Amino acid sequence: MSDYRALGGVPFMPKPARPAPANTTGVVGWMRQNLFSSPSNALLTLVGAYIAYVTIMAILNWAVFNAVFEAESRRECLDLVGRAGACWPGVVAWSRQIMYGLYPADQIWRINMGFLTLILWVVPLWLPRVQSKVAIGLTAVLVYPFLASYWFLGGQAGFVWSVLIAASIACFVWVWATALLESFTGATFGRFVLTLLGVQHRSEQDQRRVLRAVAAAMLLVAYVAVSFWTLPFVPTTRWGGFFLTLVISGIGIAFSLPSGILLALGRRCDMPVIRIACVLFIELFRSVPLITILFMFNTMLPLFLPVGVEVNQLLRAIVAVCLFAAAYMAEVIRGGLQAIPRGQYEAASAMGLGFWQTTVLIIMPQALKIMIPTIVGNFIGLFKDTTLVSIIGLFDVLNMARAVGEDTRWLGLFIEPFFAVTVLYFICCFAMSQYSINLERKLDTGPGGRR
Amino acid sequence: MNRHLSILAAAAAVGIVGYAHDAQAQATLAQVKERGHLNCQVGLPTPGFYQLGDDGTWSGIDVDVCRAVSAAIFGDPDRIEYQSVTSAVRFTSLANGESDMLSRTTTWTAVRDTQLGLNFAGVNFYDGQGFLVPVDSGISSTLELDGATVCVLTGTTTELNLADYFRANNMSFTPVTNENVNVLVETYLGGGCDAYTNDKSGLAARRSAFPDPTAHVILPETISKEPLGPVVRQGDDAWANLVRWVLFGLIEAEELGVTAANVDEMLGSDNPNIKRLLGVEGNIGEGMGVANDFMVTVLKEIGNYGEMYERHVGENTPIGIPRAGTLNAQWFDGGLMYAMPFR
Amino acid sequence: MAITRDQKRPSAAPIWSFLNDATFRSIVYQLVTAASIILFFWWVIGNTTANMAQRNMSAGFDFLNVSAGFGISFTLIPYREGDSYLRVFQVGIANTLLVAIISIIFATVLGLFVGLARLSSNWLIRTLARSYVEVLRNTPLLLQIIAWFFGVFNLLPRPRDSIVWLDVFALNNRGFYMPAPLPEAGFNAVLLTLALAIVAAVYIRIWAKRRQDATGQIFPSLSVGAGLVFGLPLVVFLALGQPLSWEIPELRGFNFQGGLSVPPSFCALVIALSVYTSCFIAEIVRSGIQSVSRGQTEAAKSLNIKPNWTMRLIVLPQALRVIVPPLISQYLNVTKNSSLAIAIGFPDLVSVWMNTSLNQSGRAIPIVAMTMAFYCAASLFVSLLMNAYNRRILLKER
Repeated sequence: MSDYRALGGVPFMPKPARPAPANTTGVVGWMRQNLFSSPSNALLTLVGAYIAYVTIMAILNWAVFNAVFEAESRRECLDLVGRAGACWPGVVAWSRQIMYGLYPADQIWRINMGFLTLILWVVPLWLPRVQSKVAIGLTAVLVYPFLASYWFLGGQAGFVWSVLIAASIACFVWVWATALLESFTGATFGRFVLTLLGVQHRSEQDQRRVLRAVAAAMLLVAYVAVSFWTLPFVPTTRWGGFFLTLVISGIGIAFSLPSGILLALGRRCDMPVIRIACVLFIELFRSVPLITILFMFNTMLPLFLPVGVEVNQLLRAIVAVCLFAAAYMAEVIRGGLQAIPRGQYEAASAMGLGFWQTTVLIIMPQALKIMIPTIVGNFIGLFKDTTLVSIIGLFDVLNMARAVGEDTRWLGLFIEPFFAVTVLYFICCFAMSQYSINLERKLDTGPGGRR
Repeated sequence: MNRHLSILAAAAAVGIVGYAHDAQAQATLAQVKERGHLNCQVGLPTPGFYQLGDDGTWSGIDVDVCRAVSAAIFGDPDRIEYQSVTSAVRFTSLANGESDMLSRTTTWTAVRDTQLGLNFAGVNFYDGQGFLVPVDSGISSTLELDGATVCVLTGTTTELNLADYFRANNMSFTPVTNENVNVLVETYLGGGCDAYTNDKSGLAARRSAFPDPTAHVILPETISKEPLGPVVRQGDDAWANLVRWVLFGLIEAEELGVTAANVDEMLGSDNPNIKRLLGVEGNIGEGMGVANDFMVTVLKEIGNYGEMYERHVGENTPIGIPRAGTLNAQWFDGGLMYAMPFR
Repeated sequence: MAITRDQKRPSAAPIWSFLNDATFRSIVYQLVTAASIILFFWWVIGNTTANMAQRNMSAGFDFLNVSAGFGISFTLIPYREGDSYLRVFQVGIANTLLVAIISIIFATVLGLFVGLARLSSNWLIRTLARSYVEVLRNTPLLLQIIAWFFGVFNLLPRPRDSIVWLDVFALNNRGFYMPAPLPEAGFNAVLLTLALAIVAAVYIRIWAKRRQDATGQIFPSLSVGAGLVFGLPLVVFLALGQPLSWEIPELRGFNFQGGLSVPPSFCALVIALSVYTSCFIAEIVRSGIQSVSRGQTEAAKSLNIKPNWTMRLIVLPQALRVIVPPLISQYLNVTKNSSLAIAIGFPDLVSVWMNTSLNQSGRAIPIVAMTMAFYCAASLFVSLLMNAYNRRILLKER
């Protein structure tokens, strides 16, 4: 300001900008710029709009305008509109089975509780002030399944299983205690417990002992609680619907990450036997379609095991999906590992870090971060691929949809349930892919993260 | 790293083996009793035979065979875990002990009976393969189908019979195959094939769900024999006997006029045949390892074969297959339902 | 002596020091791995033999000569119901390869268009392309195949009301019918010329490149080559009096007879596969083109390089480095995904071999093994090509 005055003139005041030309602003301007900038563009626009209109109207006509929403049976639907419109009441009548399979109706709350537990378990990952996100994420993958297995399966838990469930519950308590403490006080759970017991000034060794004792006490309390907790047994033959799809893909996803990392490391290691074993495994499982793997495990796994050993159908499918997912994930991770400059390894070596330290502390965090979009893409692929278990006859969401058309009341109702399932899948996959794009943007901060 | 791998492998192995148990160590009946329920294998839902209601329960004429066996063993027809698997793995699943019996419209053939480690325990439905064509096609006999496109369920004896029949009559055809009946029916309705072939029992049921059932006709010819019945593992004769005689019991009860409604008064009957059937006299049940009056429970819960038939596939059901005059009538009515004597 | 002893002492390690030796540990690790793998397979094979003995199953390949006895709706190579299982296997492979190759061609073309449309300046086209990719990429392929089959091909008119085009192509809900070429005497000469022309074109290209490297002179090898490949056989074909006739499909009895035809399940499968894969290819193309920085084009412009040369010599080689590896893995995916044909009953390898044949013959082990062997071989072949290509275009690091 003072400088202008010193120059003795009137301070420089730019004239207000003139408004943009009318043909570049507003709806018309936007359309001119984006839709009709040239004759060929205009033609493209019209053709595109026509195709979009016809497709959307055809679907809407069938699914909404001509559809029947209230009827007692498919016969009634057919008498009303024939095959011109959808017959939704059948899908509604079967919606519980499509979601939960043949799970006993009075036990379905358990499935909901199981998934609610998972949601609660991972909610802290989105709380901004929580520090121990890695630990929480790891427990969600490694420890939560034991609790989930009891929610879903129930029955008489043996000693080992009870301990695992107890550990799971103790972990859940720890997750929320940590989340709350770190959000409000900023102290970690361990620090808080030590302060509470008044031992925060003791030696580190003592503190560790105290923490261990606290963990054991939590486990013990949880174990006692578990021993009072009995849920009726629901065999896996009754699992089905969207719930089963989530279970299979969930286990596949949880299993694929750690095993994929191990396989990828194995493929890059300099011990030839291990490297060749990993390469063979990865290439074998990647080169054949999932459906052949499912077929193989379904028909041949019983032959591979000792005479009389039985593995139920769900477990066979899960084993197949897990191995398949691990092989794919291994290649994704390998891509990430290849992108890490050699300097990172050399620097870690120079710092005196061993193989595992280098891998866990330096390489993996960078590799995983680069590959997050691909990893999520892989998860989406796996989730979509679980539709194939219907071909070997598991009552996943697709086969449950198929069962609607075999109900005498809704005999032949086939397209509608499939349509509903397609929409369901689309919503899930689209949400996942959008989330992965968000995550990519969020992580793409430092210069190291940019590709 | 390989240490971690081998720990992983060991854990997996322990998991599988820990899960496993010795399935063939003891007789099936003892095993079923110990387990507390029967593992009954059915197929993917099929109306009339093993259909799944929207309340999640299974019903049908094949399901009733399992329920009868459960009633005979436990006195309760519902102590069953149903296993619904595709036809591709049905025999594997039975052979490796996952299921105790399968009751799922399985045709009794020589190869299956002798080469796949199975035993057929009897026949609960005599079926035969037929063709469904649109009325406006003007076709009145299967012999007019030369050059036609035919929709057929894959992986079944139906598929083989179709090829055999056309070869035998020196005709050509194009198959449209799928393993999902509804896909085939949709294809057929959309005109994707000239005829739809399946067991005749299924044809009538499917036709009832067409937009206009009267526009389609089932051709008179039956091109194959399809005796459908329950199957058990080979090598456990006692178990096969139990299933077989429960089935015979159902058929015998109809012959003797014992129904779900009158079974209690029939207990006081003077007819020695009825007395033996209901366990008032003799020890047939004990010899089979179940209660002597097992048929009383079975009949109370399920009814006799005729009641079973009318309930699930008879004329008053959506399936609507008339019984009189067909192979499924009692032998004295000209059918093939003939129970071996209960003595 | 004393000095030597003193020098030796500090290096004399405890007896278990070899445990810390990297080479030793590596050998032990590998021995343990190898041993556990061998043990595992030994265990599996032992179990399998025991199981098969118990169930009276046979693992032999003798069933391959047994008559299969079922009909197949579409066969690329001749097949009758009485043919053997081995023939069924060949039919399955031929069908799978046919579906895969046609789908790959369609998917690449479609993917290229959509990829470019995603970069279009037209908002509507860009948005349509984006929704196309997002919607189709996020629904399971299995459902898409079923949707194409029932939503489109099953709704086509019946044979009597077929859509006929030019009196030789016909489309109805039984399939797509087209004329079949019937080569007459002398047609082999045309094929021979074609082969010769291709060899000549390749040779000219190599020669032109060598000459350009040596002298800098440029020879229009591409257009000359194209002229050779298309022109020469045409000239021979006309000179020999067009030794080729066409068998035109006509409506007889239930359906069109004669000519070439593909069933609706084939059309649905190919279109579903192409459309689904094109989404991924579109994204690959888009990211490939975007990966070449604008500076490259600008630099080329400032060096006064012709625009189409810029595309061919500067942008494309760099974009291809990003595009080709994922593109090839998409091609492999097409081959693998064609196994979903089972859902609409197209007789590909999995459907006709691993499902129908396995079901009818009950020989699980040989059938599954043969199916997997085919897919492994196909994928191995493509991987080899891809690795060779990758090595050629790889950025040379230190």
